[in-house]
Amino acid sequence: MTSPASGTACSSAISRALSFKLVAECSTSKARACLITLPKCSVESPVFMPVGTKGTMKGLTSKQLEDIGFQIILGNTYHLGTNPGPELMEKANGLHDFMNWKRSILTDSGGYQMVSLLDLAEITEEGVKFASPYSDDMLLLTPERSIEIQNSIGADIIMQLDDVVASTTEGPRVEEAMHRTIRWLDRCITAHKNMHCQNLFCIVQGGLDMDLRRKCVEEIVKRDTPGIAIGGLSGGEDKQVFWKVVDLCTSLLPKNKPRYLMGVGYAVDLVVCSALGVDMYDCVYPTRTARFGTALVPWGQLRLKQSQYSMDFDPIDKNCPCLTCKTYTRAYLNSIIKQETVACHLLSIHNLTYQKQLMESIRKNIIQNTFPQFVKDFMKEMFPDGNYPQWAVDALASVNIQL
Amino acid sequence: DSGGFQVMSLAKLRKISDDGVEFRSHIDGRKYFLSPKKSIEIQHKLDSNITMIFDECTPYPVNYEYAKKSMHLSLKWAKESKDNFIDRDGYGIFGIIQGSIFEDLRKESATKLKEIEFDGYAIGGLAVGEGHDEMLKVLDFTIPHTANHKPRYLMGVGKPIDIVASVKKGIDMFDCVLPTRSGRNGQAFITGGTLNIKNNKYISDNSPLDKNCNCYTCKNYSKAYLNHLIRSKEILGSVLMTWHNISYYQNLMRKFRKLINNGTLYEYKNEELI
Repeated sequence: MTSPASGTACSSAISRALSFKLVAECSTSKARACLITLPKCSVESPVFMPVGTKGTMKGLTSKQLEDIGFQIILGNTYHLGTNPGPELMEKANGLHDFMNWKRSILTDSGGYQMVSLLDLAEITEEGVKFASPYSDDMLLLTPERSIEIQNSIGADIIMQLDDVVASTTEGPRVEEAMHRTIRWLDRCITAHKNMHCQNLFCIVQGGLDMDLRRKCVEEIVKRDTPGIAIGGLSGGEDKQVFWKVVDLCTSLLPKNKPRYLMGVGYAVDLVVCSALGVDMYDCVYPTRTARFGTALVPWGQLRLKQSQYSMDFDPIDKNCPCLTCKTYTRAYLNSIIKQETVACHLLSIHNLTYQKQLMESIRKNIIQNTFPQFVKDFMKEMFPDGNYPQWAVDALASVNIQL
Repeated sequence: DSGGFQVMSLAKLRKISDDGVEFRSHIDGRKYFLSPKKSIEIQHKLDSNITMIFDECTPYPVNYEYAKKSMHLSLKWAKESKDNFIDRDGYGIFGIIQGSIFEDLRKESATKLKEIEFDGYAIGGLAVGEGHDEMLKVLDFTIPHTANHKPRYLMGVGKPIDIVASVKKGIDMFDCVLPTRSGRNGQAFITGGTLNIKNNKYISDNSPLDKNCNCYTCKNYSKAYLNHLIRSKEILGSVLMTWHNISYYQNLMRKFRKLINNGTLYEYKNEELI
């Protein structure tokens, strides 16, 4: 298949590697349940993708991930691109074989880590220039190089390299980044070698400026990528602006393609943004917070390091079907949390199960058309005194769900 | 185990008396006193199926006088341990033979422990730096004084080659941190020896750790991936290496039992069996 000419809208950018089915729509809000068929495994949405940064999920074996029920996971191109690196990844026949994961994988472009992890990242039209963490060299991540690495990793969904600015940035830089993101998308499309088996998603930028977001969506949908991500959010911005940007994007984006809200993973955010019409999410939060001894539960969080749990012989959540809740008590976890890596492993299993179960409930209720009641019940359990965050109240009200 | 060994190896500022050992915890510096009575009580609360007597693990090397004094103290504590042990069905207490590398002391220790009467007899104070050959010599003059119809447990052993040699001499039980601890550091036990997965030569090796192994790690993951995990300090690396090493050890013991049942164990050299 020949690469499309850059800068033009073209139907050859439509990948045959993804087919999309709208299974159900909530009759009250904008929530929808979809089936995204990918080369390795179909994905039921709304879906939360756990992040396996370096090709592994904090101690979980691929069987444990499968048993929890995940159909798609995320790998970070920045980390995998440096260690083990694209050449090795090709020798290993790609990330699926390397990490023994037979279902679907999404890789990000590497851009975000560049900007968030590295002190000396400099962004030019060419790409992102940065100091190598392993030597004295200056390296350059271009759209072409990002796609090249992602081609060797072999994920089912790959992301364009975008010009990411912190969501709290103001001024002309935001607009510059938005336009550059579109130019980089075109370069990514040209460079992409595996359209028949890897789906390239674009990323909508534009900061917190509604006009910029609108302009970006208008341009970016002309490229007709198999899926569209909403980037540049979840960076500490005011939640009241956050939901409005999400809402605007989902209103403008085509209905027949998956919408992926990057970097979002708190339970309340997942529920509210699903009501706004988002299909896919990723976040390090559940696995990261497990490392600090925090268990996620329907009524909030348990900080298991606290001494109140030292003699508590209940499981984290007696309604949770995960291995950790079926086998271990809060007291046991409390006793090992500061000392044993298995604590992190057990809590990761629990937290990931929690996220999976939440998404399954969201999906099931959309399909049964009972989503608004589910949202109310969820919020009541999370905030029993009725002190709902105002942004969530407003966001849900905008899609006809009154708390 | 009774806590005796860790008190010797981990704790700071320990003072041994006839009644027990006073020591400071290596975690928070608190003072503790561990005696045979206390040790047996703790093991009871842990609901341990096999309780070990509280003994002094004689360090190595020591002179004859020290070894004798230490062995006698352990005998005194063996009696106190037994006296404090609550006997019930499905639970037992083992004695631990001490005496360092001295034949007469080992004989005395084993004989007197049999007079007190235990459910099994462990050989302690080995795998402390004496070396493979010295260890086997001690087994040669100690094992004949244990009870033939009760389990013999060689504590803290060890490498596969140490285990196979000891099995041939009549040992029934072993324990060792080696497969788990060195697994976390990248050392894999494989047919014929070991390898360190951190080595550069495994970076793009798509073969399993050990082609003769059926464990979850070897069935699903390559050396290249394990190399990546261990070098990246990822928890899954420790998990998979531990899983393999423990499977290796279990398969080893299973193999010995099979060969013993067939009567063919001694037809093989030790090196051929690991």
